[in-house]
Amino acid sequence: MTNHRPSGFANPWFQFVLNVIGVVVYELLLKAGAAATADPAKSWSWFGINALASPLTWLAIAVIIVDLVIWLYILRYIPLSIAFPLSRTVDVLVPVSCWLVLRETISPLRWCGIALVIVGLVIVAKPAAELEERL
Amino acid sequence: MTTAAIIFILLWLVTFVAGQLLFKRAMDLSSAIGFRSRRTLAVLAAGILVMTISFCLNLGLLQRFDLSYLYPFQGSSIIIITLLAAIILKEKLTPRLMIGTLLITAGVVLVSMS
Repeated sequence: MTNHRPSGFANPWFQFVLNVIGVVVYELLLKAGAAATADPAKSWSWFGINALASPLTWLAIAVIIVDLVIWLYILRYIPLSIAFPLSRTVDVLVPVSCWLVLRETISPLRWCGIALVIVGLVIVAKPAAELEERL
Repeated sequence: MTTAAIIFILLWLVTFVAGQLLFKRAMDLSSAIGFRSRRTLAVLAAGILVMTISFCLNLGLLQRFDLSYLYPFQGSSIIIITLLAAIILKEKLTPRLMIGTLLITAGVVLVSMS
């Protein structure tokens, strides 16, 4: 940790929020692109190449590239063992946004899983906050 | 689940985990010896290559399975990455971080089971 933390737009935690939003967007785009081109009968489709026929997949790739640059920036300042578990905020955001936006139903068991992830995130957020104080 | 599915899911997991570790190593190197150093760029390039392979495998899997089916495997990557970051990259692993990471992993698996 030789770098001192930049503030404002360059703040790694602000970039972290952008990164998480990016992941939610590209996960949904990827699934849509892959579903639109699915042809499991072809054995080489295990490598996913035919999904490139969908413009949604290319849009997802563009978001992924931007997201990767942001992620690399975050990794300059935050240990992987903290940044990666925290990045799984998406595992809460994806189902909850499906529930809110797409009116999909969420089973009680799934709500329990979401609650567990949130508790875990809060616990991991403490070492992250301590890290912040040291910076 | 067929043998092919198991093999491709494992390949996807291994490449994904390796990619993350390479990215972090590259950024540590970039802090230590500079971003434009040849070693930093080599590790970063290796990370991007491995991640690209992982990405294609993920697309192939998404065409065959629901995202919710694939999620537990993605969930297991959390605990693997945290452990390997401690072992390989010598990051500090506190019991608190370990418990939080385990809960997130368990939650992700539970979300996909229901």
